[in-house]
Amino acid sequence: MNPVVRWFHQLGSPPYFDRFAARWAPWAYGLALLTMAYGLWGALFVVPSDYQQGDSFRILYIHVPSAWMSLFVFALMAFYAAIALIWRIKLCEILAMACAPIGAAFTVVTLATGSIWGKPMWGTWWDWDPRLTTELVLLFLYLGVIGLYRAIDDRRAAARAAGLLAIVGVALLPVIRYSVVWWNSLHQGQTISLFGKSTMDASMVQPLIWMIVATKFWFVGSLLMRARADNLEREAGKDWVRQLAGGAR
Amino acid sequence: MSYQNYVFAAYAVFAAVLLWDFVAPRLAIRRFLRAAKMRAARNPAPADKNAPLARE
Repeated sequence: MNPVVRWFHQLGSPPYFDRFAARWAPWAYGLALLTMAYGLWGALFVVPSDYQQGDSFRILYIHVPSAWMSLFVFALMAFYAAIALIWRIKLCEILAMACAPIGAAFTVVTLATGSIWGKPMWGTWWDWDPRLTTELVLLFLYLGVIGLYRAIDDRRAAARAAGLLAIVGVALLPVIRYSVVWWNSLHQGQTISLFGKSTMDASMVQPLIWMIVATKFWFVGSLLMRARADNLEREAGKDWVRQLAGGAR
Repeated sequence: MSYQNYVFAAYAVFAAVLLWDFVAPRLAIRRFLRAAKMRAARNPAPADKNAPLARE
């Protein structure tokens, strides 16, 4: 058998996944902390102040990566949920459900830092602006997925129901993305483009890229740890969990 | 630094949420493993069916 295919099949084994997650999560966290330290140093001490917003613009270096993560994690959660629904792969159910609290955490950071940034720049903590409102709806969707997963005792049925909600919720992502284009918005339009021309000065972009990379590594570490926890909860009572816990055989 | 308090508050929220995200799964894993250990101590697993029978 092809080694990659064999590895993929092995990963579906709960004890193998537990060992895999326990081994690689610290590496992902380590890389996240390294890249984050470099990005934060640049964001707070190297990049010059904005000529209009002063130093408040430095909030961008945590606000934008968190906002991108809030959308990316939701899309990935729906992707895993779709695979789990179609092919009934248990590991994909676990990964989809592990995405929800991480995405919710990044959405909370996005909303909170946006609010803190909005107060000095817009003169208000909150406005029912299309971008802010749709991001808040995204948080409610994340909470809905988490709540639905916890509300049903049968873990597999719970994952299927919550996964369906995640798949339906994907329709919100383009609305969030284009809300500043479709409607008049207090929120600023797009300033950074991966493929087109960015309106942000090049000297300010580098720490942002480091922070985007750092949040991705963080997500990988967190996903592995949360999936490991869910895997252990589902497998409670199995022999390999007893051995791992050091209990009597 | 201008708007210093706002910048510090935003970074503090970021750090606090990431700290929670780091700690929460570890606490859950510890809880599940402790529960598994207690369950194993309460209900020891049956002897291996394939083990040879004792002759004495």
